[in-house]
Amino acid sequence: MTSTLPAVAIPGQRLGPIASFSAGPGTHVQNANIYASIAGPVLVDAHPSSKTKSTLSVSRTALRNPSAAPSSSTPPPPTTTTTTTSGPQPPKPNKPRYNTLPAVDSVVLARVTRVQKRQATVSILVVLDDSVSSHPLNPTVSASDNDNIEAILSSAANPENHSSSDELRFQALIRREDVRAVEKDRVVMDEMFRVGDIVRGSVISLGDQSFYYLTTARNDLGVVMARSEAGNMMFPVSWKDMRDPVGGGSELRKVARPF
Amino acid sequence: MTDRRRINGPPSGTRPAVFASSLKSASGISTGRPQRERQPNELRKLFLKTGLIPSASGSAYLEFEPSASLAAARSSPQSLIPPSSALKLACTVHGPKPLPRSASFSPNLVLTTHVKYAPFAARQRKGHIRDASERDLGVHLETALRGVIVAERWPKSGLDITITILEAEDDRWWGDAPDSHDAPWGMMNVLAGCITAASAAIADARIDCLDLVAGGVAAIVSDETAEGETSSPKLMLDTDPAEHKSILSACAVAYMPSRDEITEIWLKGDHSKASLGTDDKNLGHEALIDGAVNAARGAHTVLAEAVKESAERFAGLMLGGNAA
Repeated sequence: MTSTLPAVAIPGQRLGPIASFSAGPGTHVQNANIYASIAGPVLVDAHPSSKTKSTLSVSRTALRNPSAAPSSSTPPPPTTTTTTTSGPQPPKPNKPRYNTLPAVDSVVLARVTRVQKRQATVSILVVLDDSVSSHPLNPTVSASDNDNIEAILSSAANPENHSSSDELRFQALIRREDVRAVEKDRVVMDEMFRVGDIVRGSVISLGDQSFYYLTTARNDLGVVMARSEAGNMMFPVSWKDMRDPVGGGSELRKVARPF
Repeated sequence: MTDRRRINGPPSGTRPAVFASSLKSASGISTGRPQRERQPNELRKLFLKTGLIPSASGSAYLEFEPSASLAAARSSPQSLIPPSSALKLACTVHGPKPLPRSASFSPNLVLTTHVKYAPFAARQRKGHIRDASERDLGVHLETALRGVIVAERWPKSGLDITITILEAEDDRWWGDAPDSHDAPWGMMNVLAGCITAASAAIADARIDCLDLVAGGVAAIVSDETAEGETSSPKLMLDTDPAEHKSILSACAVAYMPSRDEITEIWLKGDHSKASLGTDDKNLGHEALIDGAVNAARGAHTVLAEAVKESAERFAGLMLGGNAA
């Protein structure tokens, strides 16, 4: 069935009837047919249980893995439920990133730009894709899925780059009651975030005209990178403490579970 | 409104100096008019390439093939004034990016289009501030693209499409210019080029589209024969306005071939005259639109190739892995 599919689709190209496929990201449906809406490689996501139709999608990101091409004869790619550990098994099917925009429930990395009594303002650096959010316990997977995350983070954590391009990034708010799940009324924002911290958060709402709303009320969400007052990168020691490896001092943060 | 921040050129238009030697006689002007050497349904060749501007999320460059007279004049110049011009333009797409703080919430993609002539693009110098024709082109381009983009997939974000025209089509032959109050026919070709280039740039930026929209132009012209009589009006595709003494009417469309839909249509001129007195009854506006659609189909083949090339370059590793 994949023989009739083109390897690379262009917008407006017919991919297949809706009777035999279901439309995935990068496609749209017109007259009971699936058409590509972006240019890129065509992916067929066949479900192991043959009851459901396989999903046709057009990838937005380049595939680094030839086995994920539609003409591959390798066993069907594991779905998100079969989490692969970060063993020496690199041919993990590379899920295409659906959207570069933050959507509800997507996990984002953001930099804190302002801390107030009731809320913290952050600017969203990168939206992590589905495969990352489905098993966020594995930081190596998140690093391998988006090559540029490390580059984005290292440049964003550098104090010299602050406020250079915040206007071009989506702004978000972490309200005081969304910081953690327990003892919400005892939250002191100054002890949770500092300006310049890199925070992993989950989008709870598209918000109003200017801000998205994020939450860090989960164990795996919170500050992932922070610098101490002395300017050294700190490592987490507990869910609310990070320590400076040089000065040895400890600072309070809402720390994300690192592994 | 004057632009106080820059050193402006002369307020009125400038024209390249006309040297006496280039105008040997009055007949020299009339024979200097370029002649169309293509068939009525033959299009000019297009050059279209995407991804030339690295800082933009999508970009495209489009160039029309110079008409035969222009190519001849470039190889063996008889005069310093080129007989006609060929369209060259660059399109950049920035976004999706956050809306400005003052903007209200939008569940859809907010599209803004800017079309700007470079100061040297036309024979008449263009100012730095957008004039009425540039704003007009921007509005036409926006309507053409709005019907193509799947806007609801990009909430709360904006898309800026900026087109810089490096060389514009002539509105008429330059020799006719002083005493002509004809319509600006060259804008039709510019619009068609803008639509095709913007479509390629949007596909390069990976914004969801229903189809690749292509622009096309057709015109009804009544050409002078050698004896000075006007022949019966003819339908021509992809007209270069410099090559025709009198264009009766012209039409530019933005056309989606896979759905057979038109998102933008711009008719200009008097086509009632054209349908009179000819044996072909079908020479009204419908024929004009059909001709423009056929021209757009031609542009679409180039557009599809350019976008495909961009997608293959993008997925180059994957295809290389398969071929090996």
